[in-house]
Amino acid sequence: MKEGPMKKLISLIVNDRVYELAVDPNVTLVDLLRDQLGLTGTKKGCEVGDCGSCTVIMDGKPVNSCLVLAVQAHGKSILTIEGLETHEGLHPIQEAFVEKGAIQCGFCTPGMILSAKSLLDRKADPDEAEIRSAVSGNLCRCTGYQKIIEAVQAAAERMQKTQRE
Amino acid sequence: MLLPKFEFYEPSNLQETCQVLAGLKEDARLLAGGTDLIVNMKKRLLSPANVVSLAKIPELKKMETSGDSLTFGACLTAAEIARSEAISKNWSALAAAAGSLGTPLIRNLATVGGNLVSARPAADFPLPLLAYGAKVRLKKSSGDRWVLLEDFLLGPGQTLLGPDEILTEISVDSPPPVSGAGYMKLGIRKTLEISIVNVASFLSLEDRHQTIRAARVVLGAVASTPIRALSAEKALIGEKPSDALFMKAGEAAARDCRPIDDFRASADYRRAMVEVLTRRTLAMAREEAGSRS
Repeated sequence: MKEGPMKKLISLIVNDRVYELAVDPNVTLVDLLRDQLGLTGTKKGCEVGDCGSCTVIMDGKPVNSCLVLAVQAHGKSILTIEGLETHEGLHPIQEAFVEKGAIQCGFCTPGMILSAKSLLDRKADPDEAEIRSAVSGNLCRCTGYQKIIEAVQAAAERMQKTQRE
Repeated sequence: MLLPKFEFYEPSNLQETCQVLAGLKEDARLLAGGTDLIVNMKKRLLSPANVVSLAKIPELKKMETSGDSLTFGACLTAAEIARSEAISKNWSALAAAAGSLGTPLIRNLATVGGNLVSARPAADFPLPLLAYGAKVRLKKSSGDRWVLLEDFLLGPGQTLLGPDEILTEISVDSPPPVSGAGYMKLGIRKTLEISIVNVASFLSLEDRHQTIRAARVVLGAVASTPIRALSAEKALIGEKPSDALFMKAGEAAARDCRPIDDFRASADYRRAMVEVLTRRTLAMAREEAGSRS
């Protein structure tokens, strides 16, 4: 039998936990997260970078994890939707999504929330245009954009208030 | 959607990359942002036996202003270019094109070099870079060469790049004192759009008389490569900028282009929009030049 390409050893941080793994070069980051690490909060939609459902934050920047090879995540720090909740409960953006009814089927939600988080990390009080632009790579097929925008606005207000206290 | 199998290489400098490429002959593909290559591999349009990543090469991420030019690495992402203060200030049309490519998520991966090498007729980066007269550096183990971007782009997916060459850097001259540029992209939506038509214009004015000393009008998605609207440029040079002149240049640009009918738009619509976008980007260029004088 012909041998396939060699597996590569990688080490990466996912949600503050260090993983050392052997991966095939042709495995994408989204498949590594879902299939090898069991982190199925990251969704697979189009798989070609169009829909944003596989959004993760890699070294501080939101990216389509379907377009990143797992081997390229070596040495990187990844935040997935599973990493947002703390022992104190849901992240304020997650809470706002629930409260504002910004979740319908929920498939786009992890990506939406991570894109929103990355915006709020950069800018605590974005205007509506900035929010719309920040989530413009994340498609929602339940046509729920308005409530998503409202949820991000509510989360921004809440996070600023918490910071002031 | 599975990727075909391949051997993965991740060299840490350019010299090593050149050696790897030379050793692998033709069955290798360079991986930069992956937003084209990975998609094409998933769709089985490409299945190279070897993939050589450029992600660990610091030289490809540099940005240097030296005297009268800016040289920047091919692996800078669209997001990095859109957010660069130096680029936004002096090469605003380049920052605008970088900020209109794909989506915010794509822009965090996609690189300027990848966008040039992919050589799509409707791509965002080539237009402002052609308007600024950019050069690109091509490197292989036996040496390197600088070529004009205008000469580099040959057709859809076709460039001057040899199989063992890497596009390593892009260089643009500092804009003259009273000059400006504009970039516009027409699509049906604002994000994740392939342009129906895109246009970049550049104007350099005489200090005193405010006549146009140099002009470049570049049209995208209306020919097999981005093209310069030479008769529009000719109509502009030596004249004073005015709405009437820009109208004339727009009409000339519409005559210069060779659009096709496809599912995105008809040739007639594209030609009409070339006229409008030429006029508007020239007005943007005039405004920027005015703000600098």
